[in-house]
Amino acid sequence: MRYGLILISIFACVLSSGCSNNLLVSGSFPSPLIDSDPHTLGVFYDEEFRSYTYTEASEDRSKWTIEQGAAQRQLFNTILSKLFSGSVELPQWPLTEGSDLDPTVDLVLQPQVSAFQYSTPRETKFKIYEVWIKYNLSAFDREGQLVADWLVTAYGKTPTAFMKSDEDAMNAAIIVALRDLGANLSLGTLRVPELKAWLENNPAHAQIMASRAP
Amino acid sequence: MLTNMFTKNSPKHRRVLISILASALITLSACTSVNIDEYKSQQDLSITQDESVVILGRRHSSNYETEPDLISCIGDVLKEGDSIKVIPEALFVDDLYPWLEPRTAPLKVKDMPRILKQPLVQQAFERHKVRYIIWVDGKTETTDSSGSIGCSIGAGGAGCFGFGTWEKESDYVAKLWDFQRLENMGEISADASGTSYMPAIIVPIPIIARVQNSACKAVGLQLRNFLMPINDKILAI
Repeated sequence: MRYGLILISIFACVLSSGCSNNLLVSGSFPSPLIDSDPHTLGVFYDEEFRSYTYTEASEDRSKWTIEQGAAQRQLFNTILSKLFSGSVELPQWPLTEGSDLDPTVDLVLQPQVSAFQYSTPRETKFKIYEVWIKYNLSAFDREGQLVADWLVTAYGKTPTAFMKSDEDAMNAAIIVALRDLGANLSLGTLRVPELKAWLENNPAHAQIMASRAP
Repeated sequence: MLTNMFTKNSPKHRRVLISILASALITLSACTSVNIDEYKSQQDLSITQDESVVILGRRHSSNYETEPDLISCIGDVLKEGDSIKVIPEALFVDDLYPWLEPRTAPLKVKDMPRILKQPLVQQAFERHKVRYIIWVDGKTETTDSSGSIGCSIGAGGAGCFGFGTWEKESDYVAKLWDFQRLENMGEISADASGTSYMPAIIVPIPIIARVQNSACKAVGLQLRNFLMPINDKILAI
């Protein structure tokens, strides 16, 4: 009788966990092999970005809850600290009355997630997990005037593998997507026309200070 | 003496029988057939002891990915006997990030100068002493399956009955780029197929056709022969 109850409980646990997947995205990102721009960048991640969590709302799909705020912040910090000669994380943006902006900061960047989509092998019949993420990036000057506003997309996929859980496969696909985002940011950011023009026309604070030095 | 040691139903006797059965099950494998085609644009391929090779998988297709374990398997075949230095794929791709990502990697050898224009990329290639880049593209997939196995569990025990079979096919192309000449030096294509069986009489007994592994060994050995022709090996001995 006791064994029967244990078996029923195990079966119930398996059934109840079968349709919901919770994932805290984790991984590491290499530093990009690129030349740095001499400007110093201030980066502001709002609360929504820092703790970005995708929760599947559709009744027809598995109940995925994907927390990727920390991983995407880690990716942005890794790339931006190499793309610009200085990168500072800002506690607040836009500035409120009485708050000061770090004097070394030339430009402020604010990324936001504008879309997140995924597909699983059950839906596509291909043995791969796929993830698409769209980010909206906004760059401001020190006075808070918008310099550039552009979209960056990321795509990642990972094949299914024997003994690999759905969470592990989805995590791998998101890490590939974030690496793709990193590639896009590393090679594409300084080519955004409005941003490129602004960087060419506004010398970096560090350069100005160096030219003033005796 | 032996009969004394292994008297019927003795624990030792049972242990020996179980280990023989287990090793027989592990070593059971189905047949695989492999076809190899090769094209070599230059006959004078060679590699010196301080030069290295990097094997990279193509990941830009929308419905498959070249498996990382296949890439490391080919690498293991190439570096057998420490004859050829092989840089691990993940290490190299991370070191050159973001230039070898699916979005940015050169698809043709004539695209290489585009990334080598970057002094940092050029330095990384030189630091690793890369002589050849081998791009492997392809996949292993299950093309057909049939049969069924049913398992049941009850108060008296558990068991499975039935018979299952599935067919796998591998299709890979390896392209060899010479980093010094920036030329495609040759191509090897490997097609492998095999059928696996799983009869189940109480316990399922998998008889697996190791299709991907056979393709890996075939490509690896052919690449070794490309880079270290048999005559060179004899000279080295």
